[in-house]
Order: sequence, then structure tokens, then C-alpha cells
Amino acid sequence: MNALVHAPGFGLFLTVGAYLGAGELHRRLGRPALLAPVLVAMVVVSVVLELLGISYAEYLSSVSVLTLLLGPATVALALPLLRSGRALLADRLAVLVTLVVTGVVSVGVTVAALVALGAPDELVLTTLPRSVTTPVALTVGEAIGANTTLAVVLTLVSGVLGATVGPWLLDRVRVTDARARGFALGVVSHGIGTSRALAESDVTGGWSSAAMVLNALAMTVALPVVARAFH
Amino acid sequence: MGLRTAETDGARSVLAALALLLGLQLLGTLLVDLTHLPVPGAVVGLVVLLGVGARFPRFARRAEPAGEPLLKHLQLLFVPPGVGALTQLSTLVQHAGPLALAVVGSFATGLVVAGLVLQRLLRRRGTA
Repeated sequence: MNALVHAPGFGLFLTVGAYLGAGELHRRLGRPALLAPVLVAMVVVSVVLELLGISYAEYLSSVSVLTLLLGPATVALALPLLRSGRALLADRLAVLVTLVVTGVVSVGVTVAALVALGAPDELVLTTLPRSVTTPVALTVGEAIGANTTLAVVLTLVSGVLGATVGPWLLDRVRVTDARARGFALGVVSHGIGTSRALAESDVTGGWSSAAMVLNALAMTVALPVVARAFH
Repeated sequence: MGLRTAETDGARSVLAALALLLGLQLLGTLLVDLTHLPVPGAVVGLVVLLGVGARFPRFARRAEPAGEPLLKHLQLLFVPPGVGALTQLSTLVQHAGPLALAVVGSFATGLVVAGLVLQRLLRRRGTA
């Protein structure tokens, strides 16, 4: 039993198995956003590691191939953007203005709220990459000195908020244009929001993934500048 | 026999696509190292693929056999950092108030602002 649990492939087997199982459960229950497969899999893996007494360091070395794939996956984000390229290019000014205004507003609200409540600088840095897709949030977070594991939780929280209350909130403020709905979801809640947007329509999904990638690019450039104020 | 050849070629194009994506990431890392840009190498690789792919669609299509499955199951890659994150729950709880306000506040304002601004701008362009 011990040999099995500490075999090099165990962590990877556990992770892939939990992910597939959580995905299946998610489909069967009608895709409730709160039971996003990534969240369920995280919890299942954590509980199993705890029960079997496997340290996080040992687990990480077993799943290093997944960590390694984050790089090529980030590069691959260019593909959805290339697909929706023509539509975006036709409305490039509107897209650019929205991207900049939203970026300024959401970084502004984050920093203002934390500074007003007297949060430590490290916490401000950790909260900054929140709306960026996780592979990019991880690398940017590392670059600006954020607590990257906590930054990942906040990223997941933003994604789940986008998938759960996002469409409802857009209804309340009467955003009916499929392109605007998709873009808004992608910009604040990256991949998890995008998967919800894809459920609305292809247009919504396409604009959402474009927004996710453009926001990641914009934040990669902007956040290190903002972060300088908190060092 | 024919089936077998197709299968081998499929696996080959996946591996070639993965090598292409990794190559772009490494190229990005090299460029970052040379220019000291404060940007992750993978993001520079993304921009290179975007630039070259916009001009040569066939080049981008070569990345798809590995790129598409990776994007489709992107969330699998977040499970390990997420598990690590659960070990940070105490920090999260300690600062729960400010964090909730910052995250929920900027989420809601960001979503509403993005949706309203883009809808307004697209409409204006549509009627003009």
C-alpha cells in the first residue's frame, strides 16, 4: 500500500482521475457553476493527500508534467484569438477602449478597497493578477512578488463568480449584446467565465476568450508598473 | 494498415504541435532574457504565434493538434496550484473581509463597466 501511494505516478493518477470524475459529475448534474470540475478536483485531491499523509512537495513532483504544460498552454491562447481576429479587428477601437477602461476601473477598485481597509502591501500584490487567466497569473504573480498560491485561489474565485452570478448581473444592467456579454465575462473571469460564455453562444464564447487573452496581455504589461508602488 | 498509418500520423502531428508550442515558449524566454522585458516568456511566445499566425494561417494550424486539447482541458493544469492554494486557507481567512470586498467589488464593477462600455460603443458604430 505504501509503495503504491508513494509511487512517482500516484499524484498524477489521482489528479487526472479526480479531474475526469469531477467533469463527469458536473455533466450529470447539469453543469452547476459552483461544482466547477476544477474546484471539486482540487478538494478531492487535497483530502486524499491529507488522508494518505502525502506532503504537498511530494505531490508536486509527481504532477510536474502538468506544471510544465502551463507554458505551451499559454502560447496556445493565441489560437482562439486568431479565430475571432477579423471580428475583433473590425471593432478594434471599441475593444481597446473597453479593455483600458475596465482595467483601470478594476485595478483601481481592488487597490482602493485594500488600501482603505489597511491591508498589507503583500496582500495588494497578491490580489492584482486576480482577473488574469491562471497560467499568466502565476507567472505575473511571481514576477511582482505576489503570494502565488493565494493568487491562484483568488483567480479561481473570480472565475467562479463570473460563471455563477456573471450572466445574472449582466441581465440586471441590460447588457444584451452577445459580444459585449462575452467580452465582459472574459475580462473579469478568464477561462471559467469563458466556459460559461460558450454555453450562451459561439459569439459570446469567442468574444470571451478573446477578452481573456487581451486582458492577460494588457495586465502582463500593466501590473508590474502598478506593483512598483507597493514594494 | 491504412488505419495504422493515420493513427501514427495523428500522434506525430500532436507531438509536432507540442514541440512547436514549446519552441515558441523557449523563443519567448530567450527574447525576455535578451530584452529584460518584465513579461513571462510564454506570453511573448503567445504574441509571436499571434503575429506569425495572422500572416500565415497554416503556421497557426500546425499548433492546433496540441493547442486545442490543451485549451479544452486547461482547468486540469490548475488543479495542482489549486491544491497548494488550499494550504493557504488560513491567510485567506485572516484577511477575509478586505479580500472579499476587493475581489467581489472589482469583479462586479469590472463586469458591469466592460459590458456597458462595449455595448454602447458597438451600438454607436452599428448606427453610424
